[in-house]
Amino acid sequence: MTDSQIKYWRSLDELAQSEDFKQALDREFPEGADSVEGVDRRRFLQVMGASVGLASASSCRWEKTTLEPFAERPENRVPGVPNHYATSMEIGGVAEPLVLTSYDGRPVKVEGNELHPESLGAASTFAQAAILELYDPDRSTNPTEGGAARTTEQFEAALGAVRASHAAKRGAGLAFLSRVTNSPAIAEAQRRLKSDLPQAEWFEYEALQRDGEIEGARMAFGRPVRTHFDLSKANRIACFDADLLGDHPGSTRMTRAFSLRRRPEGGSYDGVNFEGAEFDSANLDGATVMNRLYVVEARHTTTGASADHRLPLRAEQVGAALAALEAALVAKGLAVPEAWGSASPAPTGTLFGQDSRARAFVNALADDLYRHRGTCVVAVGGTQPRGVHALAHRINALLGNVGKTVLYTDEPNAERTSSEESIETLVEHMNGNQIETLVVLDGNPIYDAPKGLDFGSALGRVKNSIHIGLYRNETARVCGWHAPLAHFLESWGDALAWDGSYCVVQPLIRPIFAGRSALEVTSFFATGSWSDAQELARAGCTARLGALSDKQWQLALHDGMASGTASVPVTPAPQRVSALSYSGAQVDAAMPANGALELVLYGDPCVHDGRFGNNAWLQELPEFMTKLTWDNAALMSPATTDALGVTTGDMVTLTISGRTLDTVVYAMPGQAAGSVALALGYGRTGAGAVGGDSEKGVPAAGFDAYALTSSRATGHETGLTVSAIGRTYPLAMTADHHLIDTTGMNERDGEWLDPSQSYPDKTFEMEGADGEMTAVALTTPTLVRAYNKKAREGSRVAELVRSATHSEFEGYLEGVADDGGRESVVDKLHAGHGEDVLTTQDAHADDAAHAEDEHGDDHGDGHGHGPHYVDPNKIKRIGGPELLSLWERHSYDGHRWGMSIDLSSCVGCNACVVACQSENNIPVVGKEQVLRGREMHWLRIDRYFSGDPESPKVVNQPVGCIQCEDAPCEQVCPVAATVHSDEGLNDMVYNRCIGTRYCSNNCPIKVRRFNYFNYHRDLKGGDRDLEKMSFNPEVTVRARGVMEKCTYCVQRIQAKKIVAKVDDRRPIRDGEIVTACQQTCPADAIRFGDLADESSVVSKAHASERSYDLLKFLNIRPRTAYLARITNPNPLLVEA
Amino acid sequence: MFHFPSWTLTIRDTAGLLVGGGLLYVAIIVTFGFSPKTTDVGYQPTQPVPFSHAIHAGELGIDCRYCHNTVERAGHAAIPATATCMNCHGMIHTESEKLEVVRDSYESGESIPWVRVHDLPDYAYFNHSVHLAAGVGCSSCHGRIDHMETVFQKEPLSMGWCLDCHRNPEPHIRPADQITNMNWENDAELGAKLLAERGIAPSQNCSTCHR
Repeated sequence: MTDSQIKYWRSLDELAQSEDFKQALDREFPEGADSVEGVDRRRFLQVMGASVGLASASSCRWEKTTLEPFAERPENRVPGVPNHYATSMEIGGVAEPLVLTSYDGRPVKVEGNELHPESLGAASTFAQAAILELYDPDRSTNPTEGGAARTTEQFEAALGAVRASHAAKRGAGLAFLSRVTNSPAIAEAQRRLKSDLPQAEWFEYEALQRDGEIEGARMAFGRPVRTHFDLSKANRIACFDADLLGDHPGSTRMTRAFSLRRRPEGGSYDGVNFEGAEFDSANLDGATVMNRLYVVEARHTTTGASADHRLPLRAEQVGAALAALEAALVAKGLAVPEAWGSASPAPTGTLFGQDSRARAFVNALADDLYRHRGTCVVAVGGTQPRGVHALAHRINALLGNVGKTVLYTDEPNAERTSSEESIETLVEHMNGNQIETLVVLDGNPIYDAPKGLDFGSALGRVKNSIHIGLYRNETARVCGWHAPLAHFLESWGDALAWDGSYCVVQPLIRPIFAGRSALEVTSFFATGSWSDAQELARAGCTARLGALSDKQWQLALHDGMASGTASVPVTPAPQRVSALSYSGAQVDAAMPANGALELVLYGDPCVHDGRFGNNAWLQELPEFMTKLTWDNAALMSPATTDALGVTTGDMVTLTISGRTLDTVVYAMPGQAAGSVALALGYGRTGAGAVGGDSEKGVPAAGFDAYALTSSRATGHETGLTVSAIGRTYPLAMTADHHLIDTTGMNERDGEWLDPSQSYPDKTFEMEGADGEMTAVALTTPTLVRAYNKKAREGSRVAELVRSATHSEFEGYLEGVADDGGRESVVDKLHAGHGEDVLTTQDAHADDAAHAEDEHGDDHGDGHGHGPHYVDPNKIKRIGGPELLSLWERHSYDGHRWGMSIDLSSCVGCNACVVACQSENNIPVVGKEQVLRGREMHWLRIDRYFSGDPESPKVVNQPVGCIQCEDAPCEQVCPVAATVHSDEGLNDMVYNRCIGTRYCSNNCPIKVRRFNYFNYHRDLKGGDRDLEKMSFNPEVTVRARGVMEKCTYCVQRIQAKKIVAKVDDRRPIRDGEIVTACQQTCPADAIRFGDLADESSVVSKAHASERSYDLLKFLNIRPRTAYLARITNPNPLLVEA
Repeated sequence: MFHFPSWTLTIRDTAGLLVGGGLLYVAIIVTFGFSPKTTDVGYQPTQPVPFSHAIHAGELGIDCRYCHNTVERAGHAAIPATATCMNCHGMIHTESEKLEVVRDSYESGESIPWVRVHDLPDYAYFNHSVHLAAGVGCSSCHGRIDHMETVFQKEPLSMGWCLDCHRNPEPHIRPADQITNMNWENDAELGAKLLAERGIAPSQNCSTCHR
């Protein structure tokens, strides 16, 4: 199937046109969306607090408010003007460099650190949601002993006594369990701990680890090295279960580099290619401009969704595919040097049989990699076994990639044992009564340690168990002592980024609940006293970089990092890697019988390993592929669910190695047949009022996948049995929310005729060449072709999402160059392309069949004459009648704000959704409300599938308000609460809105959100001062009954306009105003700027040949243009 | 048989007038009684410190920006920190009873709870700096502060009042060096010239103030 014949669908329900789907489509909101039942069950208790005195301060003059200035205002502190500070967040031993926005001493927004190459301004969803975590009222507020509240002094006295008793024994019997950290300051504190209490033990455990990768490097090079991929230089990328653009610690940087090479223009839209050279559009060379991504994986990852070619294979077969790749490369003439051992034999069996898809895939991949020796990348995911990693190192070496696209640096801590081994040893020591005191530093082993170890009963043998954490979580509840941990935004410290550079952690606010950081606690045990935390951090810096002067340290604090401290690439010597051989039986392609299915456990993209379980922004974030909120589910391919006789929403029991879990099924297109994937991090019983809390009677969100783990948390294991329970479970997934309306869907589906049927002849009145009307009778084959062509061309979804292959795009550009050919190529690109050339008579029939057809295409405008709005009354529409408007056109003297979103670059990572939520004070509504279609995200990412449900292609499309010129919403608002500004925005005036919802009803894109409840106010009262602190003071907090939507971050526009006006009324520079979504986009897919400025990037993007408007035929003329997704498939690999 | 006394005919005859008058009365009461001109203008709360703008800005002629020093670069004009008061009052009137609250604040580091006079709704975003940059003087909105012993609200600060100026800015624009001049007389001709020179066109978009 070629791309332009694509039928897109968002869910399997839609593909099957099920009753549920039709109902969802017919209604503006799901049934019952405007009823109030279920209020008490709602989980928006934790949703942020009451609106900032909106009601009281709005009009009531006599309420006395006070203004309390500083007694002495600190330097550089201007009331109401935000300050920015750099810091970093460490997850799994890797720092994410960040910049925080702080209003009047109150951090409100997390963004990436532009100075750091690992961020370039982008931040992950986890980091951005840290704001909500900081102000979470469920955070632990005071120490407890056996569940009873204690004061900080009591806790510190108890800690001192414990330390003293162990100090007398040189630390014997004392053990620490920390999360994996590469903080130089903690390493320095540990060193001092070792010298004072040499017998104390230190364990590090992380449920989601990359130990396979480290062990693989040990196997290949004899020492743990870290692999870096330079995707900006990689022309071909092959990922084997590797989510380089998703869960990889270096994903932010790699996404930027990858996306730059996904644009056929070669970089930006300004005619300069990614190498900085002038880009020659007449001589497009797909081979070097665009990269090509091959992915072999079991479950659909971010990387897989961006792939040009994706082969769904069970995780256990991924190694075999890599072995087959090596064999194919060797067959092409690459020799495995002696130092590397012997080559892998090609796997046998039906999976890699002569005519199999996997064989064709591997051969085409080998061919492509061979042609791009030295400019390609072969990557393996962290959960694959070490042998597979070692093999990938060897293949990269064979291809000559090492030192070019594949770089190695030393792991910061070469001695660290794997998490698996570490936790096993700890449990062994606890069971052997060797541990008298266990200090758990910011971990939750009761929840996330492999269940096979039975950590709980081992912990019961420990006399003093002390948990220090952000929350009173599962582990805290069984430990003797618990004390609050300082949040990273409240702490001093340091960490190392993925590139090894030194990053600073500095506090934005004093600890809200008097917590201590892990660094302070470690140092306390080393020295017996509490030291100044900044000095501790500086000691780490000194140990890592040598002594810095005060000025250098201040500079590091300012920048958030010490520049030029990234690890230096090394060239490790290879060791002999034993060949991987897979027998036919091991890799049989057929679907395994129930009981021999594979279980893949993976870290959840929303709540990670469970630590973010109480973060409502992340819980309600639709997972990028399943679009599930508030839940995880057992993902199975449609073929697997069919074989098991279950479907989405059915409860099943998963059994593996004697462990069982009741969970819910989700039929996931693109999941490998016979592989069942389940996200870790859900089913928390000690998270809090959001994620689930057994003490407070809050049911857990999702299902605890750790229940199925035996010796390690992540990875894959075979022998899974799935048995249906016979119950169903409601899943709050947003895939079918905000659908386009019935008219559009009918139009979209057109009238499809089945070519195998015969139809009665149909007669049309046609205008002949002589101008006379004559009747033409169409017979079946012509009729079918004509109708189906019309159905395709009328496809409304083609008006929503567009994609073409690189060669189609090239052909299109050639057609444009040859002016007469333009029309036909446009047709080809977007509509009936691939269709046989119609005969004259057919062509007539075709015209007749869609006499009224409006296959809207907008490539006519924009080309060659700058921005869109040259002559607004004459938008050129090729092949259709001119669009006329009943409305008088707006005219603009000044700015005309516009946005472009590049579908070629977007990888669907969700960072923009959280950025928008944080910037615009968007409420969280809870699972029950999401089930009713009331989620409030202003920016959603529509994920479209196309093709075979077992191996579909994916297009991600971020959709916010597209700011129509002739906005249907403005035309129906009875109170002028949504009006057009003279800069082209659809302004939303919340204080005017009376909540008729007419605007939402009339919005064709479905981007308006209605406050059914006062989500920002706790219905049950209570003190919500803490949560109020997370609000952005620049944006109104909306009350119940008010409609809201994206405004292109108008507060940011106004702020920059004011700065420019105050600054001697200078013009605003292109790129000066960045919207929140654009700011955090790691792929640089979103551009914002002034369309009145022809030299702005957004003008150029609008003028791009790829640029198109949503639902052009409605003549709404949106200000957001989308750039069609261009893929770069291998011509050798014509996929079925 | 009961007959309405004849005087009731007067009621019948004047009923229309009464009802009409009643409606008019309600309309007038609502329009004027609930207007910010009635409810807000003249609001003059008692401040914790009997600070006199009439003395400081009037008699002594201290420039507004000596105390409200963020006004040219920030949204808020910012109530000065206690330390600003103490710049002078560390040396003069050091024993004054009236300044006890100020000295206490300076020593303890606690804020002085000044009572807010000019208060906009939270959904209206006003920025001082951009108005100053455009040439709108302090007295245009705050009145003759230099004559006020205790500050009171001079103008209604309602949306209609804001728009009056945004629609017809000429009389309210003055040269940049006259911003804090309390004696400035509006000059529409000069204003029009300044507007044209500096390319100032006040926005009437909703999103200019409501976000």
